[in-house]
Amino acid sequence: MASLVIAEHDNASLKGATLNTVTAAVKCGGDVHVLVAGSNCGAAAAAAAQIAGVSKVLVADAPHFADALAENVAAQVVSMAAAYSHILAPATANGKNILPRVAALLDCQQISEIIAVEAPDTFVRPIYAGNALATVQSSDAKKIITVRTTGFDGAAATGGSAAVETVAAQGDAGISAFIGREVAKSERPELAGAKIIVSGGRGMGSGENFKILEPLADKLGAAMGASRAAVDAGFVPNDWQVGQTGKIVAPTLYIAVGISGAIQHLAGMKDSKTIVAINKDPEAPIFSVADYGIVGDLFTLVPELIAELG
Amino acid sequence: MSYVAPVKDMKFVIKELAGLNTLNQLPGCEDATEDTVDAILEENAKFCGDVLAPLNWSGDVEHSVRHADGSVTTPKGFKEAFKQFGEGGWQGLHHPVDFGGQGLPKLVATTGIEMINSANLSFALCPLLSDGAIEAILLTGTEQQRATYLPNMVSAKWTGTMNLTEPQAGSDLSLVRSRAVPQPDASYRISGQKIFITWGEHDMAENLVHLVLARTPTAPAGVKGISLFICPKFLVNPDGSLGKRNDVFCASIEHKLGIKASPTAVLVFGDGKGEVGVGADGTAGAVGYLVGEENRGLEYMFIMMNAARFAVGMQGVAVAERAYQKAVSFARDRVQGRAVEGSAAAVTIIHHPDVRRMLMTMRALTEAARATGYIAAAASDAAHHHPDAAVRADNQAFYEYLVPIVKGFSTEMSLEVASLGVQVHGGMGFIEETGAAQYYRDARILTIYEGTTAIQANDLVGRKTARDGGKTAKAIIAQVRSTEAELAASNHADLKVICDQLGRASKALEDAVEFVAGSAKSDIRAVYAGSVPYLMLAGVVIGGWNMARAALVAQAKIAAGTEAEKRDPFYAAKIKTARFYADHILTRAGGLRASIVGGAEGVLALSEEQF
Amino acid sequence: MKVLVPVKRVVDYNVKVRVKADQTGVETANVKMSMNPFDEIAVEEAMRLKEAGIATEVIAVSCGVAACGETLRTALAIGADRAILVETDADLQPLAVAKLLAAVCKKEGPGLVILGKQAIDDDANQTGQMLAALMGWPQATFASKVTIADGKAQVTREVDGGLETIKINLPAIVTTDLRLNEPRYVTLPNIMKAKKKPMENHKPADLGVDVAPRLKTLKVTEPPKRSAGIKVPDIKTLVDKLKNEAKVI
Repeated sequence: MASLVIAEHDNASLKGATLNTVTAAVKCGGDVHVLVAGSNCGAAAAAAAQIAGVSKVLVADAPHFADALAENVAAQVVSMAAAYSHILAPATANGKNILPRVAALLDCQQISEIIAVEAPDTFVRPIYAGNALATVQSSDAKKIITVRTTGFDGAAATGGSAAVETVAAQGDAGISAFIGREVAKSERPELAGAKIIVSGGRGMGSGENFKILEPLADKLGAAMGASRAAVDAGFVPNDWQVGQTGKIVAPTLYIAVGISGAIQHLAGMKDSKTIVAINKDPEAPIFSVADYGIVGDLFTLVPELIAELG
Repeated sequence: MSYVAPVKDMKFVIKELAGLNTLNQLPGCEDATEDTVDAILEENAKFCGDVLAPLNWSGDVEHSVRHADGSVTTPKGFKEAFKQFGEGGWQGLHHPVDFGGQGLPKLVATTGIEMINSANLSFALCPLLSDGAIEAILLTGTEQQRATYLPNMVSAKWTGTMNLTEPQAGSDLSLVRSRAVPQPDASYRISGQKIFITWGEHDMAENLVHLVLARTPTAPAGVKGISLFICPKFLVNPDGSLGKRNDVFCASIEHKLGIKASPTAVLVFGDGKGEVGVGADGTAGAVGYLVGEENRGLEYMFIMMNAARFAVGMQGVAVAERAYQKAVSFARDRVQGRAVEGSAAAVTIIHHPDVRRMLMTMRALTEAARATGYIAAAASDAAHHHPDAAVRADNQAFYEYLVPIVKGFSTEMSLEVASLGVQVHGGMGFIEETGAAQYYRDARILTIYEGTTAIQANDLVGRKTARDGGKTAKAIIAQVRSTEAELAASNHADLKVICDQLGRASKALEDAVEFVAGSAKSDIRAVYAGSVPYLMLAGVVIGGWNMARAALVAQAKIAAGTEAEKRDPFYAAKIKTARFYADHILTRAGGLRASIVGGAEGVLALSEEQF
Repeated sequence: MKVLVPVKRVVDYNVKVRVKADQTGVETANVKMSMNPFDEIAVEEAMRLKEAGIATEVIAVSCGVAACGETLRTALAIGADRAILVETDADLQPLAVAKLLAAVCKKEGPGLVILGKQAIDDDANQTGQMLAALMGWPQATFASKVTIADGKAQVTREVDGGLETIKINLPAIVTTDLRLNEPRYVTLPNIMKAKKKPMENHKPADLGVDVAPRLKTLKVTEPPKRSAGIKVPDIKTLVDKLKNEAKVI
């Protein structure tokens, strides 16, 4: 049997999450087909055909697929489901919206956010916010799966040459309508809740020098923070403060620049997933919690980092 | 610096030691079913932990601030939090349904007192003082006074204060000089200066209801000439709306060692300010209304005082709990030094034996004082609600014996615990930003206000022990002995040790009671020289008794409880904490006994010149 | 319009869960349990609709062990009018819960069902969508704003990279995201009132639902521990590590 991957796309282009999902599908065994359900989505379908490991791209092109309304896309997937043993979507907002609807219509218990495929019917998924990993085996005839993209490397975006076929588009369910979209503002995210944080400490030397962190934060879509020492020194306002008496944060990536790592600061950020420390003092306590430390002058290292990020 | 209310221990003490399920069989206590109490604890814990606890540190940094016009603003977030507190109905826990409260037992209210004070001691003082004022108006006010003030006080739209102290009248209130001159309309004009008025002026409530001690012109000198008056910040119109601004203003607020967010006001009555002019007879002063009868003010004030003393004791438990939580969380995180037995790398300090000793001391003292406080509260409930007069009387005597101990022992132990909390943090503990120091500073007032430890000890020695010849104390010792018998019947190694130490400690307490009751007349100075050690001894033993009772319950759960109970680490930890208390705290009893029975000589021998 | 709010009893979000030594799951005995935080937001949203005069009755539903009754009491204390407990000791998976809820929906005929977008224990994020599918109703997941007018719901949804707004016919399913509202604190008078509110009890069999699990948990393990930090020699290595080892950029 084959796997069907629901492509993540905006009609004009394919989203990277599709590539990771293809990798997961390949691990389930069998052929991998990709469904591009959209409106005027030829370009996205063409991109999908290039993915290494994909043998067929199915295109359902209709106006009511333009904005990926769950009611319409789910009905489309269900209409095609008979041919597949596995149906996968990336665990994006979109995939998580659509796929459980598909699963229920097929009377299957979905397996959410897998991070590994142990066997075609056995998968690993995090539970309790990642504090435990469950290995689960599905007894359903079809495996309906969302894929946590960080769990799988992306398949090569080029090198494949899948056939592109048009499939009959199911009708508009007519019970939901798309009104509009508001793309997140380009301003930096809030400190609390930011996925990436760039923080400066007393080592920044002055408020003026914090400017060199701005392009780094912009590049990473990061919020900016500071240690209490930098706040007390008047470099930056108080609401930037990360630490015991400031904000407690736990981003995916925390970059501490010129922060020595006083206990109170560590208390505010030690639960970050990955911590990077840039400091000229190799003995600075921040290095004891950093996953990646780099010793040197921040005024040369930060511009280098910005350049390297491209 | 978060606070998570120890709901599990609270539930355990309420149910297993304080007898919730016996209490809620009494008339008037039926609403306090176990599931309701559980829900109250859980929801109150959320509010205290999420809303009040985060304002504790910022309140300490910001302080309350007095402005030139006499107004006082509270730290950021306090006003909104107090509004939420009022809307949540939390002021009304214990107060009568008739005035908008829930009429729940004092036992349930006590958990609330503990939580709110752990979360934010400065904040909690405001409702604590309101509680006292509500109680006084409830018991001694007229029908009309109750209707005018209580609904708004119970809903925390208005707050209450206690105005006792004057510059020359601190612990000795016979020296009160504030004047109250009767007016033809039956009101009074009050003038004078009051100091140390907790939450005496602030911006969290629409009106403040000051309860003021003052003398009428015809009053006899001394304590028998003091009357109690209601003196609202804004007069209340007949329709309940707020009227004229009364002539009571905040002249300054104190700069204090701790509880800095709580404004401690100097209040001036009758300074010719406000909108009330002078009385019909031309007397200047704030408008006040007599509560109860003239010259019985001090008696009434003791109504507030007794409730407040108990509550201050719970403040001790509360700040100790917070200090303990903070120390544990630091000790778990802080990596420093290798293990004494050897380790590949540095270890978290909670691994070090002496850090363990400090944390266990903090934990054991806090749990014991909590238990003592809660069983006292339950006794007060039984004293009010039990149908049998004899049972009521026994419980009242038991409660009254415990109040000075709850107040004196819990607050003294809170200083020890908060100090150990600083010590666990090492150098960082001395740094304010760490937060451990605030608990130490905040705790420091607890052994002083609402009657110093010595005043509590005098009460315990005089009214509570010597007066009945040690009868109540001996009845408690008899209860301790029956717990010892239960312990002795067990083969459990920890319970045996506890039994041993409790036996020695209860004997020490018995000796001390004999000495106090026996020598009160013959050698009064010697008895009072040992009064604080006697209070501490009683606190140590009664705390140990309750820890022993807790250990017995825990052992029974492990031996014959449900599957979940058998595996619950809470019970195993309870037994070990009781064991620690036996070895490290109950053993203090012998030393205290020696100080009481034979220590007066050294206390009193030197002449005044020799100091 | 009736609003139905399903709530789940989960390990409290403050509890650091421990994996059992025998790898059969996480330790849930003697652990504090609470209402799933996303469900609290759902109850709050229902209360706001009631206070706005849009909802006429708010019904809380929970599926699971008898102790779920406590979670329902919490919903009643927040302000729900009555509660329905579907009691079973079975291991309930999202599809089974969705089927139970569909059976309740058919009995009660709500105009709107508001659920948390996911439970913080199994992190499945499925029940709302599945219920919508089973009822043939539209869905608006991950809601950050809900407006009801003219028999439709206009819902702003949190999607990757921003917000989108959709309009759905009623009856419908809405699942809540964090920013939809800030749940109120339960008041003491409402705790006391909740005691007297009605709670119905059903069994899955009464509702004609087979709740047999479809997923078998083979084992539950601890995630790999954080490896000790390293110092990297240069920026190039750092970026490489961030991209390919930590996979955070």
